[in-house]
Amino acid sequence: MNNVVIAGYCRSPFTPAHKGQLAKVRPDDLVAQVIKGLIHDTGVDPDDIEDLILGCAFPEGEQGLNLARLVVHLAGLPISVAGTTINRFCGSSMQAIHNAAGAIQMNAGEVFICAGIESMSRIPMGGFNPLPHPKLYKDYPQAYISMGETAENLALHYAIKREAQEIFALSSQQKACTAQSTGLFADEIIPVTAPDGSIIQQDGCLRPDSTLVALANLAPAFLTNGSVTAGTSSPLTDGAAAVLVCTETYADDHGLDKLARIKSIAVSACPPEIMGIGPVLASQKALQRAGLTLQDIDIVELNEAFAAQTLAVLHDLPIPLDKLNLDGGAIALGHPLGASGARITGKAASLLKREGKQFALATQCIGGGQGIATVLEAI
Amino acid sequence: MSIQKVAVIGAGVMGAGIAAHIANAGVPVYLLDRVDDDNPNRNHIADAAIAKLLKTEPAAFMHPNNARLVTPSNVEDHLHWLKEVDWVIEAVIENPDIKRALYHQLEGVCRADTLISSNTSTLPLKLLSQGLPDSFKQRFLITHFFNPPRYMRLLELVSDKTINPNLLTTLHDFADVHLGKGCVDCHDTPGFIANRIGTFWIQSGLLSAIELDITIEQADALMTAVGIPKTGIFGLLDLIGLDLIPHVLASFKQLLPTTDAFHQFGTAPALLQRMISEGYTGRKGKGGFYRLQPLEGRRIKESINLQTGEYQTSVKPAGLKLPKSQAELRQWLSQDDALSRYAWRVLSSTLAYSASLIPEIADDINAIDKAMRLGYNWQHGPFELLDMLGLDWFVGRLTAENQAIPTLLNNRKALYTINAGEKTFVDLAGGYHPIPKAEGVLLLADIKLKSPAILSNPSASLWDIGDGVACLEFHSKMNTLDKDSLNLIRQSIDKVKTEFAALVIHNDAENFSAGANLGLLLQAIHSNDWPAVTELITQGQQTYLQLKYSPFPVVGAPSGLALGGGCEVLLHCDAIQAHAELYIGLVETGVGLIPGWGGCKEYLYRWLHFSKRPGGPMPAIAQAFETIAMAKVSKSAADAKQMLFLSITDGISMNKDRLLADAKAKALALLPGYTPAQPYSYSLPGASAEAALDMAITTLRLAGKITDYDVTIAKQLAGVLSGGGCDIAEPLTESDLLALELKAFLYLVQQPGTLAKLEYMLIR
Repeated sequence: MNNVVIAGYCRSPFTPAHKGQLAKVRPDDLVAQVIKGLIHDTGVDPDDIEDLILGCAFPEGEQGLNLARLVVHLAGLPISVAGTTINRFCGSSMQAIHNAAGAIQMNAGEVFICAGIESMSRIPMGGFNPLPHPKLYKDYPQAYISMGETAENLALHYAIKREAQEIFALSSQQKACTAQSTGLFADEIIPVTAPDGSIIQQDGCLRPDSTLVALANLAPAFLTNGSVTAGTSSPLTDGAAAVLVCTETYADDHGLDKLARIKSIAVSACPPEIMGIGPVLASQKALQRAGLTLQDIDIVELNEAFAAQTLAVLHDLPIPLDKLNLDGGAIALGHPLGASGARITGKAASLLKREGKQFALATQCIGGGQGIATVLEAI
Repeated sequence: MSIQKVAVIGAGVMGAGIAAHIANAGVPVYLLDRVDDDNPNRNHIADAAIAKLLKTEPAAFMHPNNARLVTPSNVEDHLHWLKEVDWVIEAVIENPDIKRALYHQLEGVCRADTLISSNTSTLPLKLLSQGLPDSFKQRFLITHFFNPPRYMRLLELVSDKTINPNLLTTLHDFADVHLGKGCVDCHDTPGFIANRIGTFWIQSGLLSAIELDITIEQADALMTAVGIPKTGIFGLLDLIGLDLIPHVLASFKQLLPTTDAFHQFGTAPALLQRMISEGYTGRKGKGGFYRLQPLEGRRIKESINLQTGEYQTSVKPAGLKLPKSQAELRQWLSQDDALSRYAWRVLSSTLAYSASLIPEIADDINAIDKAMRLGYNWQHGPFELLDMLGLDWFVGRLTAENQAIPTLLNNRKALYTINAGEKTFVDLAGGYHPIPKAEGVLLLADIKLKSPAILSNPSASLWDIGDGVACLEFHSKMNTLDKDSLNLIRQSIDKVKTEFAALVIHNDAENFSAGANLGLLLQAIHSNDWPAVTELITQGQQTYLQLKYSPFPVVGAPSGLALGGGCEVLLHCDAIQAHAELYIGLVETGVGLIPGWGGCKEYLYRWLHFSKRPGGPMPAIAQAFETIAMAKVSKSAADAKQMLFLSITDGISMNKDRLLADAKAKALALLPGYTPAQPYSYSLPGASAEAALDMAITTLRLAGKITDYDVTIAKQLAGVLSGGGCDIAEPLTESDLLALELKAFLYLVQQPGTLAKLEYMLIR
């Protein structure tokens, strides 16, 4: 077995779709700048890279064709670097890491860039041309259920009150604001140059002025009498993230900074109408494959699609809050669909190192009813 | 010389509004104000004014993008920029010393041929230019805009003999063609024309209502019936702001000689003073003569009792219809009841006062009538009203009441006459003169004086507008479209085929068309006469198709509202020349229907062929769906271009009086080598697209943003725009789309929800 390690992580600033500073940046340009930053920061020799595996949830328009191969050129990578674009919706770029890990185990390469991208400003969620299968839509409409509705379903099923969601969302905002003000994101953010020459280097989704009173005043976003609001949902976001995945031997031989070893991976599926519960089974599978229990885990990055969804997961997967999303989660930072998997896996790896802990879990729910999880261990 | 760049100094309500309208004309403009010492941004005042303009309702900009043409600046840092501009408009505080000091600065900065004007509403030109050199006076005048500058068409110009006539002509042309204004040359007298007469009329109406114990609802209903203006006097006062009145009265009191009849109505009543002091300044304050009070989740309209000064629930008087014939009108005004006495007092005093002001404030009656129509939205000017009453009778009654008879009325000749197909006006000596018309102005009203209609029925007519071009006019109530309208379109097509080269569809009314006549539809629904509905829809579809494929150019020339069927007829034209104030939309969903006369088909086509949209079929379908389902209406012609109701090559005329001539020119330009539209096909995804739209509809319903019946309507619309049950590999024809429209329309008219919406609309 080849040990697989994460030897670098970075991301762009995450900014709100449409009104944020990245709205006018093409997604291919955005992720190319982040990959250039990763190459620069890790010091990896680009000639050694086997493949750019790029996750994207709506690979069309400016994210279309085989985006990964085009980004190879935009990022100035050698012509020898291959590129593949993959889609598992929100889990796309964590899946990119899984694909690299699998390839390494097959001796199908030593060094991979695993990245994710989503410009939710420029390519609408659902894509430009949603054309559902009419019969499937009629017979099994939940296959196409909206994400907001799934969060409401979990809130109902797990009796998660609106107040609890708001307390969780506020906590996410507070953790992220603290991390931002104390410079904890400085190492991971690659400044991005916009077409007008301006430099964007700070996250833009955070709401430092958020209060429980303000959250309580928001109208339900998805159901007339629902409990989920814009304040307790992750915002539509533009952003990109990338991690360097390689064999441990390669990292050692080339003096790369190893953040964590990938110990196990898993995907799972669940009914689409409660897709948010996906991390429970995926995490259980990954933990079992790693020979660990939840109690062994020191750091958890759980993607916060919705507060209700995260709280439902915590009900079945009782993660202590002091181990969860130490620098805030997607409710505060934003959730650029294709990029979030690389962000939370890279983040979990770097937190293991920063906090000096042993094991980490990164996990996500996925639209359509899936979960994905990665267990990491310190080196 | 032409005007390519403008500066406005003073970013108050008027200055900023003028700057916005100049930007609406596509002309870059500097907006300057003083530096606010308490703010680090030295352009803060102008910046804030622009930000406020973007939020103003009704919108100051015809499109928000126009704000980019307004550059915020300040008089301390940027005065030197003014050497680039061709026209400087001063709109600072009404203080002659401050204004003159600024003019001295401008004299040192501006080019010798830069026009400089003041937007003063009260100060005389001679006072403003006092002590300034001739080099200044030869390019200085007063340009008095009315509020809000985008919407009020009057521009009063006051100049004297020293002005360079070429510069004056340049300004006239720019204001007319580019700003869409009706320019009226005024003499240098207090309040110029419109405010002089308008203030007299308001005061006469206000004080007489108190004295004769008339309610404000009665007074407003009366003035609305006379058409001066739609709001009535008290509604207008609430709109302009009650607090303005004492200032205006004080200014007139000071400037007008004591012999002026103004002084009999020159004092603000105690009630008005009290209302202002309590914050009841009109719509901008807590309310005015009318206010809306919340009560159990509703808003109740209340009005001031002029006798007690207390608010009470507003009681709308029974619809007041004035007699149409002159004899009956005279009789009504002679009745011995309070309302007739009130009407006579306000009208007689205002009309006599207007007549007494010739030649003091203007050269002729036409200038005054035009100013009151364009500046106060009167349907008829005072002299047109006098002609309606008849001078003999009017003067006779004034004489019987021992009132002074203005010189103009002494000879008792008609004030306007038609002479050889041309409207003429009388002068003080009793001679008649044609009403002057700028080149490029063509009005259907003038065409009608020259020759009879070629075709006509109660709803529409066809006119010869010269050079081989015919004009189809709708003229039913609100220009709604019925079988007569459709018949006349078909007859016009036959006529133009053989006797003309091109067709323009236009009318002079306030609104192009409010859509199909829903009353007729409702009758058919009440009697379950579905074959009649089918016939109405099919007839409309076939008529519009004939128009589209006719062998000659067809140009639509709309102004104001163009809704529903009125929008659909325009979508079938070869080209549109629109007035800048165009409010166009497919609003059928508002009454529980979908566009059935080819509106879905044509609007979808425009999105499918819009080169800047993302690829694939859904973006076009989704855009058309959103606009039609939400019954979106453009806020201007520029906005209509963005919404694709107008195409990129369609034209926009700023001045409504030039619209017909511009449309005619457009039709003639299309003539050389004209080939009629060619049939096209639609590749639509059918059930897949319908499922995608259904997902969006379901999400909106779950979030409580639409009702259950909105879902029913939206699903029918989705079915049409998706192409029904078609497959994307099998293109549909226009006829297929029209059949889908008909099917959805017939389904909806048979639903109780649609009946309820239609009945509500017609009763409202």
